[in-house]
Amino acid sequence: MEFYIATTLVFLAVDIMACLALNLQFGVSGILNFGFILFQAVGAYTVGVLTLGPDTGNGGFQHYVAGIHLPFVVALLIAGLIGALLAVPVGWIGVRRLRNDLQAVVLLVISIIGTTVAVNQEGLVNGSVGLSLIPHPFSDFIHLSTVNYDLFYAALALAFCGATYFFFYRMQRAPLWRTLRAIRDNEVAAEALGRDVAQLRMIAMVVGGAVAAISGGVLVGYIGIWAPSTWLYPETIVYLGAIIIGGAGTNRGAALGALLLPVIFIQGTQFLPEIGRPGLIDALDWVATGLLIIAFVWLWPRGILPEKPKRFPRLSTPGGLPIDELAGPTYGGSPDRPRVDVLMPGNGGRPVATPASDEWINRERVAQALLSVHDLHCEFGGVRAVDGVSCDVRAGWITGLIGPNGAGKSTLIKAICGELKPLSGTVVFDGRNITNWAPHRVARLGVIRTFQISSEFSRLSVLENLLVGAVEIGGESLVGSLFGRRAWGSAEAAAVERARQLLAEFRMAEMESAIGAELSGGQRRLVEIMRALMSEPRFLVMDEPLAGVHKTMIGTIIGHLQRLRDAGLTILMVEHELATVDELCDSVVVMAQGAVIATGTMAEVRREQRVLDAYLIG
Amino acid sequence: MDLLIASIGFGLITASIVALGAVGFTLQFGITNIFNLAYGEVMGASAFVAYQVYENTNNVLALWVVGAVFGALLSFTLNRVVIGPLIRKGTSPFGLVIVTLALGLILENLVLAIGGAQYFTLVVPPGDSFVIGPMIFTLSQLSIICAAVLVMLALHVVLTQTQLGRAMRATATNATLARTCGINVNHVKDIVWTLSGLLCGLAGVALVINIETFQASTAQVFVVVVIAGAILGGIGQPYGAMLGAGIIGLVTEVSAAYIGSGYKDVAAFVILVLVLLIRPQGIRGAIAAGRGLAS
Repeated sequence: MEFYIATTLVFLAVDIMACLALNLQFGVSGILNFGFILFQAVGAYTVGVLTLGPDTGNGGFQHYVAGIHLPFVVALLIAGLIGALLAVPVGWIGVRRLRNDLQAVVLLVISIIGTTVAVNQEGLVNGSVGLSLIPHPFSDFIHLSTVNYDLFYAALALAFCGATYFFFYRMQRAPLWRTLRAIRDNEVAAEALGRDVAQLRMIAMVVGGAVAAISGGVLVGYIGIWAPSTWLYPETIVYLGAIIIGGAGTNRGAALGALLLPVIFIQGTQFLPEIGRPGLIDALDWVATGLLIIAFVWLWPRGILPEKPKRFPRLSTPGGLPIDELAGPTYGGSPDRPRVDVLMPGNGGRPVATPASDEWINRERVAQALLSVHDLHCEFGGVRAVDGVSCDVRAGWITGLIGPNGAGKSTLIKAICGELKPLSGTVVFDGRNITNWAPHRVARLGVIRTFQISSEFSRLSVLENLLVGAVEIGGESLVGSLFGRRAWGSAEAAAVERARQLLAEFRMAEMESAIGAELSGGQRRLVEIMRALMSEPRFLVMDEPLAGVHKTMIGTIIGHLQRLRDAGLTILMVEHELATVDELCDSVVVMAQGAVIATGTMAEVRREQRVLDAYLIG
Repeated sequence: MDLLIASIGFGLITASIVALGAVGFTLQFGITNIFNLAYGEVMGASAFVAYQVYENTNNVLALWVVGAVFGALLSFTLNRVVIGPLIRKGTSPFGLVIVTLALGLILENLVLAIGGAQYFTLVVPPGDSFVIGPMIFTLSQLSIICAAVLVMLALHVVLTQTQLGRAMRATATNATLARTCGINVNHVKDIVWTLSGLLCGLAGVALVINIETFQASTAQVFVVVVIAGAILGGIGQPYGAMLGAGIIGLVTEVSAAYIGSGYKDVAAFVILVLVLLIRPQGIRGAIAAGRGLAS
């Protein structure tokens, strides 16, 4: 009886550790790691060969590398290290921008390759027979009866499990966790907010790989054997299923799932009396496991303990400051750049509808272009969508980018923001050549874009969405997140305050805790705009920011954009409603068929025959 | 040299089996956009059912027909009962991959529960031997190659010469546009699932005729080789899949002859990973992008 209890507890501890690790990758970061079991196996093999003596012992009936009789704890640490190191190449292959399902297949195949190597390189870990007689940890100097040793080991395993849970608990509270969830929900949008997606996902791969390997080491210390048949790929399905059932994205969900599926549902049936053919119960158990997973995906896709957005305490009364008071320090530009409204009090330096000569004087006084595109060529979807575009966007102006459908406007924006690599040409921002820069690097310069299709982080709350916009909270590294609030607490609290002020301005204060997916189309737009503003941009690039927004909100947004511009923010926006462009934009760039056909004020381009032709012929 | 020629001969047979499976996989993936990880288990289950019938009838034709029909029905049913409703419910592609994986687990273990964990041995009389150039094939080996060639030709005719084939290609390229053009997309998808199941069943039969001894999980590893062929050929590209299958078949058999049979499939796996890393659109992707058979 004690043996069953001890065994169940060890498996519970190991399965919880594994589920926490996989949850970080799958539930939190959106990496469909179908090769997860490989990491557990590598940990088990590592602990096995390191704690075993030389393979000439016991008559040399098994063959393996190492065999250096290391103490268990040292071997376990090395196992964790090897798990982490293995995660780097696997992660490099697996977390590249591939469709989720293809990524899953690549990772699955990597784990099958691992099995093939373990089976065929017989001197490595004793081939298909596997390792046996792996020494029980501490049994050299702790002399206990078998029963007591089992209970001792169960306690040890639970201690490891508890430590792991504490580790992940710390992570879950930190900004890193939120950023990983944002990447899971929308990789491209997270990148456009300055996040190095590959690097952040690599953290999840490495931490998950290390913990998985340690869980394998803890398991093998107890069962004493490890063979390729112990880690077939259905084991990964069980862990995935456990996370789905418990609730993907949270530690408690993962732990609950580990208790329910691998421990109770699968280990539990070991205690049933044998009926029918040997293996029949096992087979039916797997069938039931499969049905259970499908039932959950179908009926309760968010699991028993669904992920809930983090709530933040209120430090002051709602409402906050009007945005103008924020705008000064926030968008005023760098100290070396004069505030535009100082130069041109009253109208922010933009040209006014006065005679042409005055316009030119004003333009020169506003000085140079913040962004300069030269002879840019881009292909999109097999079409030369941008074909030799050159244009400038002046600092402190709102520049409209207009043109008929298919003119190449969105492609141009993608190329400016680094989402699309141009074939040739240059993009210069603030004197720096940013051509071919990765999107997150461009974003870190303060070039922030919004998207044509809604790009909210659908399982984050509105407030969390905004916080992802605040780049420099810190706590987005592993060390930072483990350090706790000391490292990032005050920065986050300040960002929460700023976010609440924006929410009040955009009349969405009461929506603070709503999930992205629950919002209306117009609200999603607003969230995206607020999120972009949270990042304190120097240059805002907006792809049809007003599409789908309710009429009453359009006025508010336009008002905001004007105030931001007056505070020194430079804006480039694609907009189809020409009346809005008239009202808002200081200058426009007109594109048609991949080329710029006119630039100037709206009044000027209206007079251009080519513009009229482009719009009429389309 | 003899080793090389012999392995090329085996390669042709393997290529034929992979082609049957890969074309079915790629059609279904290209048109329904579902990465069906239960494909291998549909293959295994079809082969198992066909084997049961063959044990009782000793009829080779029955073996092929039952495998194909069972595969078609099973695939159709999976779509109608599970995948289709889940898509309508708005389940993410993420969730669907996991569901197909769970379906595979269910199918494999149903075969285990019914047939047991032992190995099954299927002996189709090899028939006369034929000398073709430097290679010698048995009749049953030739029948596999012929079956594959005939199926590929039939498929070519369906895709290019019939209304259905045009509807399938249109759906693969742009399902929304196809729907607005009056194509009953759900009907096309039903047919595609059925057709892909049929090819999958044929591949399963060809596989067990060729290897003779199999168990419930045999197709589960083989399907990765099939997927490698499909992805090498470019997802959604039936002709690419044929070409990819040819390459994969030859590479696995030749590498098995020279590196060791334990690593036979690893060559295919490595190709699969490399293609996804370097050129995810496959070898025919660029040619086909302009021609409209998916992209």
